[in-house]
Amino acid sequence: MPTQKDENERIALLQGTLDLLILKTLLFGACHGQGIARAIQRQSEEAFFVDHGSLYLALQRLEESGLISAEWGVSENNRKARFYTLTTKGRAQLVAKTDQWKRLTRAMGLILDPQE
Amino acid sequence: MFRRKRRTTEDFAEEIRAHLALEAEELQREGKPRQEAERVARATFGNSTLAQERFRLRHRAVWLENLLQDVRYGVRMMARNRSFTAVAILTLAIGIGVCTTAFSWIDAVLLQPLSGVAEPNRLVTLETVTPGGEWVPNSYPDFMDFRDHLKLFDGIAVTRPVAFSVGKEDHAERVWGELVSGNFFAVLGVKPELGRVFLPAEYGDKPGAFPLAVVSDRYWRSHLGADPGVVGRTIRINQHELTVIGVVPPNFHGSIPVTAFDLWVPYMQQPILNGVQQWMLRDRHNRNMLGIARLKPGVTLEQANAELDTLARRMAVANADVSADMTATLLPLWKSPHGPQGLLVGPLRILMGVCLLVLLIVCANVANLLLARATVREKEFSTRLALGAGRTRLIRQLLTESLLLALAGAILGVAAMPWMSRSLELLMPPGELSLVLFLNTRLNLHVLIFTVGLCLLAALVAGIVPAVQVSRMDLTARLNDGGRSGAAGRSRHRLRSALVASEVALALVALVGAGLFAEGFRETLRMDPGFDPNHVLLSQFYLNTGGYTLQQRKEFCRRLAERMEAVPSVTSVAYSDGVPLGFEPSWWEELRIDGYAPGLNENMNIFRNVVSPGYLDLMHVPLVEGRNFTDADTEATQPVMIVNESFVRRFYAGRNPIGGRIHGWGSWFRVVGVAKDSKYHYLGESPVPYFYVDFRQLYREDESLAFYVRTKRDPDAILPLLRANVRAIDPNVNVFDAVPLKEFIGASLYPQKVAASLMTVLGTVAVVLAAIGLYGVMAYSVAQRTQEIGVRMALGAKPGQVLRMVVRQGLVLTVVGLAAGVLLALGLARSVSAVSFTNSGMGASAKLLGSSASEPWIYLGAAAFLCLVAVLAAYLPARRAAATNPMQALRME
Repeated sequence: MPTQKDENERIALLQGTLDLLILKTLLFGACHGQGIARAIQRQSEEAFFVDHGSLYLALQRLEESGLISAEWGVSENNRKARFYTLTTKGRAQLVAKTDQWKRLTRAMGLILDPQE
Repeated sequence: MFRRKRRTTEDFAEEIRAHLALEAEELQREGKPRQEAERVARATFGNSTLAQERFRLRHRAVWLENLLQDVRYGVRMMARNRSFTAVAILTLAIGIGVCTTAFSWIDAVLLQPLSGVAEPNRLVTLETVTPGGEWVPNSYPDFMDFRDHLKLFDGIAVTRPVAFSVGKEDHAERVWGELVSGNFFAVLGVKPELGRVFLPAEYGDKPGAFPLAVVSDRYWRSHLGADPGVVGRTIRINQHELTVIGVVPPNFHGSIPVTAFDLWVPYMQQPILNGVQQWMLRDRHNRNMLGIARLKPGVTLEQANAELDTLARRMAVANADVSADMTATLLPLWKSPHGPQGLLVGPLRILMGVCLLVLLIVCANVANLLLARATVREKEFSTRLALGAGRTRLIRQLLTESLLLALAGAILGVAAMPWMSRSLELLMPPGELSLVLFLNTRLNLHVLIFTVGLCLLAALVAGIVPAVQVSRMDLTARLNDGGRSGAAGRSRHRLRSALVASEVALALVALVGAGLFAEGFRETLRMDPGFDPNHVLLSQFYLNTGGYTLQQRKEFCRRLAERMEAVPSVTSVAYSDGVPLGFEPSWWEELRIDGYAPGLNENMNIFRNVVSPGYLDLMHVPLVEGRNFTDADTEATQPVMIVNESFVRRFYAGRNPIGGRIHGWGSWFRVVGVAKDSKYHYLGESPVPYFYVDFRQLYREDESLAFYVRTKRDPDAILPLLRANVRAIDPNVNVFDAVPLKEFIGASLYPQKVAASLMTVLGTVAVVLAAIGLYGVMAYSVAQRTQEIGVRMALGAKPGQVLRMVVRQGLVLTVVGLAAGVLLALGLARSVSAVSFTNSGMGASAKLLGSSASEPWIYLGAAAFLCLVAVLAAYLPARRAAATNPMQALRME
């Protein structure tokens, strides 16, 4: 059973969207990096594949700008892992960005598919 | 508050290890064997070392990555819009290229005028000042006084540029060099590359004591085979053996900026080399030495000037017979009026000004283009903003793009520099010194720094407007109504209008400048020099360097004149010491005039020329009274003199000058004629007293020999005949300069001519650029309004009305621009007309813009022309807009 789709079926993540996806994933509770990557892939029905190197850089960036916080903890299967949590600031950012994104996709949709 | 602890690399590595373990476990749970699971986990993660590396460098890496991204993206955008990119880069290349070229010249002429000397910033030029305020060279006795009595200087040296003839009689070659005081190299701080330079013992003032020469590195390589054993060898200079004592380093070219000399010989060799009599070296009248001084460390120019002034005033009293009321002054090297550099200073300043004007227009053009493009790219920008890109990031993206454009333009411009520099060589002043012109305009650090600065400036000026525009963009409004928001559009419209108006203003300044300078030049050309330089071939002989005595020189002239007069197309022949309107200081003599009582301290030094009997006739200078010199005036008869009208006005008010007695050169002259006034030093001069003495009666060893042939034909056509006749008299005289007199006296027109031609060329470039910009912007703004025009027409507007509306709006902008431009041009013209430029070795100055500075028809003409361009630029797109089918325009809505 494949965990990865074929190369050409995958959609490269647009710049700036990865941050939004991470924030969204963390909305449901604290999670470690590997969990976040898995969650994004699962939620997008394997359409998005997260490059793990970029993921950790993005996590770093978000942590440094205070949108998420992190601490070491223990995973469900008793492994030591670094858990990330959404901060209040991160929550607000998520709401604002989601709103913008929706308007953007609506506008794009209107242009690309006017009959709808 | 607590500081957030920065994560260590170890901590990050730990996290990655945890990730890999978690992933492997999960894969195992999904049914993979353990080893396979670990492998897949690692493979999916990708390069973990790279991730750690990026973590470690993340601040730098993010910055660099963003920059690379911006650059890559910028290059992609540039490649996608080829025509836009090409236009932008080419205009920038023109702007940056001309500015850099101009600066490289300014750097070579003004900023580092002398190379190879120690601490050039402490070196200054020393000029004697006449009571009339003109700068003149110094005499050797004056130099000795300066040298021995001034305390604030580390030394004062004098030098005189001369042509030497080097080698045996039959294959002598002319080499330019300097006759220098013995301390010359010590004052300039030049160490020899080989051998030695003049020693303190050789600093003395004893004539003929040291038959020595120092040669340039260039001459050593080209003529002495770069022989390291050259020191101690003799070379034959002006038919005398001189010992070479040293070679100077390659970067030293002598003491006159922009000039390269090859030989240095002690001035005290003059009596031997040129047959100059020893008393002339002690004669304070004999002003032929240029002074250069080194200030002591920490001494300001003002302090040194004060000390010099005090001494000079004392000297003026002590030698009142020669120097009454004369003073002396120090000038920065670049202000020295002598040599080609004196002529170049003015034109180069104008050049820089014009180049900056061109650069401004270029920036306005590119800013306009970028602004237009920014509008097209609005959707792209709003999408990027919506996706979370920061506004600063977008601004940076735009500035990166304009910087890329400027960089490409700069590279292209610098690559074109050698050609542009070569075309600038047309700027080089005419005259005999052009043989030794030397200009180091190769790309150096100064110029490079200047170009980089220019590049950044251009990128910023051109890129800032669109960038600010983007940063003000209202995201929500953009996304919602697809870029048709009124508010933002209006502010951009204002910006573009401002740009159009400023382009018109700059173009007007360029046009008016071109017109004013051209008019100034024409005005100078219209000035009557008082003699007729057409159809005259002027040749300058350096007979003394060939070992001719004074008698032999006179004899040579007589025989050559005889032979040339026999040539059928030749109408007359003459010879003289000085050439009128040549770029050489004029000589004078102190006169005592019978029946005229000079006022207290009145300066009685009067300019003169030593001429052959045929001179005034040949020049077409009419005699208003009395007779000309004749062959009957000889060494044996009473010395005679011809004075000009101004001379008569000043010294013979109401008296008859003919027959009057005048004392000079130690004997009494009789005035036999009065000649009409003409111009002697530069075209703009006011009438000066002047007199002529007879060649046979007064020609001396240290005087020059100019030979004139007036012909019915083209003066150049007579040159081969002249050459043949010279050779027939003496086959060894093969070195002399010949040039039509009309061209030679061009030196006095030089600054005006250069200013006019520069402004015409660069002014045209500026106007063409501005016209392109104007058209582009107008066309674009009309295209933007296609929908609006469609609506208007759908509501019943006639095509003619639309046309009128668009043209009217274009004209309003143009008029605003013209108004600003006229104000700017008037201000600039006023400040330029206040500047005067050196155009003669006298240090006297002529106005570049005469009375033409506020010639109204130039302003009117320029304004009318630009209006025409603007109407055309608005009309063409407007016609297209008026032809729009309203339905089509509306459907786009």
